[in-house]
Amino acid sequence: MSTDLSSVTRPIEQANGLPNAHYIDETVFKEECDAVLFANWAGLAVAADVPEPGDAKPLTFLGLPLLLIRDKDDAVRVFQNTCRHRGMVLVSEPRKIEGAIRCPYHSWCYSTKGKLVATPHVGGPGQNAHPDIDRDTLGLIEIRSHIWRDVVFINVSGTAAPFEEVHAELIARWSEFEKPLYHGGADSKFELKVDTNFKLAVENYCESYHLPWIHPGLNSYSRLEDHYNIAAPGKYSGQGTLVYRQFEGANGKTFPDFDGLSSQWDEGAEYITVYPNVLLGAQRDHAFAIVLEPKSVNQTVEHIHLYYASPEIDADMRVKNTGLWKEVFEEDIFVVEGMQKGRMGPGFDGGRFSPAMDGPTHCYHAWVAEQIGRYRQAGAHAAE
Amino acid sequence: MPPNDDLDTRLRAAHESGDRSILIGLYCEAAEMSSDAEATGFYLTHAYVFALESGDPRAADLKKQLVSMGRDVTR
Repeated sequence: MSTDLSSVTRPIEQANGLPNAHYIDETVFKEECDAVLFANWAGLAVAADVPEPGDAKPLTFLGLPLLLIRDKDDAVRVFQNTCRHRGMVLVSEPRKIEGAIRCPYHSWCYSTKGKLVATPHVGGPGQNAHPDIDRDTLGLIEIRSHIWRDVVFINVSGTAAPFEEVHAELIARWSEFEKPLYHGGADSKFELKVDTNFKLAVENYCESYHLPWIHPGLNSYSRLEDHYNIAAPGKYSGQGTLVYRQFEGANGKTFPDFDGLSSQWDEGAEYITVYPNVLLGAQRDHAFAIVLEPKSVNQTVEHIHLYYASPEIDADMRVKNTGLWKEVFEEDIFVVEGMQKGRMGPGFDGGRFSPAMDGPTHCYHAWVAEQIGRYRQAGAHAAE
Repeated sequence: MPPNDDLDTRLRAAHESGDRSILIGLYCEAAEMSSDAEATGFYLTHAYVFALESGDPRAADLKKQLVSMGRDVTR
């Protein structure tokens, strides 16, 4: 199935959103996996998932069996979780690799850097080498990865420009926040399973239009008119606020600020999507990252992580803050699930955008359409 | 088959419990008791793999032994 995306990339005043098929059709979802999620830098996890050298966590990303691991030299890497011998999955549950990763089938062993280091009995009983088995060419298949703001981004196709180049503008925008981030730990992360296509979670996150209706609790201190759109065509989008109010614990206690921020961030905060599937929040006293894990065309898991400027944060305040964010993000669930259901209506044409309020959402739609167009064009050239 | 029933029993128990440190020792013991080179290489290989997996310091010497016996390569 090939969808018509010509109306998506029009100027916002005339544009429609992505057609229904991009939210409900399995074939189009498969195309988006390749064109949008594998061809770009997609969020996979956070480095805090593997805090210590040797920590390994198996993950499945759109069907790919992957292994997130922090190697012995403290570098976080992503490998295909597949033995180069018979294709056995190597690690089936999160654990610490004390020495080497041993395949549970025939015990071929790999270092935490992916190098094949032992091939027991490969040349016959008790003979551990064979001239035709060149260990140097049989290391684990590494997936290109990059860490920014603790999020582990992967480029499965291996063809994207370097992360720092693709996201140079956003990195510069938030350069003041290039400070150590400390994950709040077990009480500062949670997951939300939502029956929606991952893009609807992005679209909802990008815009402030819905805030007074869906998050009335925020309205008292974060009114619609205090927000601004962020839309960098072809790059990223989101929203900002001019009236960020710090979280306050008992007796007015606040979290420590990130060092050296300019006055812009005293009451300013920004919430931006790193296309295609990572939602980030930058505030003076804490940050968050939401990695959207597309499970299927209509199912997404939101992995939410909260970060602070210091490793020493009052536990009660941390827990309370997590609870507040959870409440806010849960308020969005019926919206993203409702938009998913609404797209089963064949007469829906992708919708019309508010030229004043929906710029960030249109920016994302246009970017997705561009990725798919590029992918289709490459496929057409390859077929010629 | 390990050189004697007692060692076989202890090896089975160690495999059952998943205690790699004990497995390394028992496979080394099996290698010492073996009379033919192939069996020795086999047991040393198992000792080496479990040592490698668990980051046990015995791995380096076991590897050296296997290399010196022509049963592994240095890489």
